Amino acid sequence: MNKTKKLVASISTLLTRRTSHPSSTLRCNPLATFRIKPQTHLNPVKPLALLRFSGRAFCSGSCDKISSSTCWNCGFSSDKSAFLFCDSCRSIQPVDDSVDYFQIFGLEKKYELDAGSVEGKYKDWQKKLHPDLVHNKSQKERDYAAEQSAKVTEACRTLTKRLSRAMYIMKVNGKNINEEETVTDPTLLMEMMELREAIAEADDSKELNKIQSQVQEKLKQWSDSFAKAFESQRFDEAVKCIRRMTFYEKACEEIVKKL
Amino acid sequence: MMIRQAAKKALGLTSRQSTPFSVGIFRSYHENVIDHYDNPRNVGSFDKNDPTVGTGLVGAPACGDVMKLQIKVDEKTGQIVDARFKTFGCGSAIASSSVATEWVKGKAMEEVLTIKNTEIAKHLSLPPVKLHCSMLAEDAIKAAVKDYKEKRVKTNGA
Repeated sequence: MNKTKKLVASISTLLTRRTSHPSSTLRCNPLATFRIKPQTHLNPVKPLALLRFSGRAFCSGSCDKISSSTCWNCGFSSDKSAFLFCDSCRSIQPVDDSVDYFQIFGLEKKYELDAGSVEGKYKDWQKKLHPDLVHNKSQKERDYAAEQSAKVTEACRTLTKRLSRAMYIMKVNGKNINEEETVTDPTLLMEMMELREAIAEADDSKELNKIQSQVQEKLKQWSDSFAKAFESQRFDEAVKCIRRMTFYEKACEEIVKKL
Repeated sequence: MMIRQAAKKALGLTSRQSTPFSVGIFRSYHENVIDHYDNPRNVGSFDKNDPTVGTGLVGAPACGDVMKLQIKVDEKTGQIVDARFKTFGCGSAIASSSVATEWVKGKAMEEVLTIKNTEIAKHLSLPPVKLHCSMLAEDAIKAAVKDYKEKRVKTNGA
């Protein structure tokens, strides 16, 4: 229920928001350009529509197998890995916890990612799932919309930022990062201490911007290191990279607060 | 003090008239925490090359905060005569390290090693989400003592 309480921006805000990717700038009212997608599926609506199935995946094996999900409303069976919305009857499906963020955006479980493509797909999803579009539907479906929309928003946020994506991809691969253990590496901490001191002592925005670009440079460097370490399954190394990135991100936050 | 200003801004405590007590449904900081902002004690540094100084430098992996706690030890008695801290982090982290510097003064090194994060957290009424800040302070004390002892071994061995 916590997820439904998250405030999701209204659909018009979401779709008119400018993205960093230059090719996707939607300016029109989404509701006016809403068009019905043509039926491309060969499967007809099954007579099982009378039986209300939940949208749960029926596979008993690992999540790598393509599972078959069934629409709770019309019984349409989909083999999509992320069955959030039934194109057949246009109903929103309940959240399936086994669907991970990469599956929602149709991406491979890799660290390297094109943020622009995620933003585009995010908007496409919100055009179907957003709670503002389901006022005429049942309470049950409105609840599904709130949960699915929140999950998709969270997925977008997690995947578009390097640090959160790194942590998520580790988690999805079963590698939990211990966040309890205090960091004692003197070289790392000395560097961070000096960085934070520099930020605190910086007087003008020119100086802060200079520090910020240095930190961004470091973040890119460690992000690349993480990618290499992760690909080669050197998970301890990967965790070290994440640690560094956490500290640099915190420094960035401080700079932004000051600017 | 830049840290204080940043801390105050982060907390939204810009007016001097901040409510000291938890009022009804509002989640505000305990008066002890606010006290450590308005009247910071022991902020600063010692020369880390000074043989009577032990420096503890620790970091929180979850939030990226850094804490430095230094102790000045009387070589003859082994008692901690002074302490300083410098912390970059949230209000609770700053208050925890401030409390730590107060509590270690005038105590023997073995005694300060028994200071527990739960005691610091209780003194500041830290919410569960901020307990790691008090843990960081406990670790900083231990790191400072360890550093001092290692320095002594080096100077005695040389």
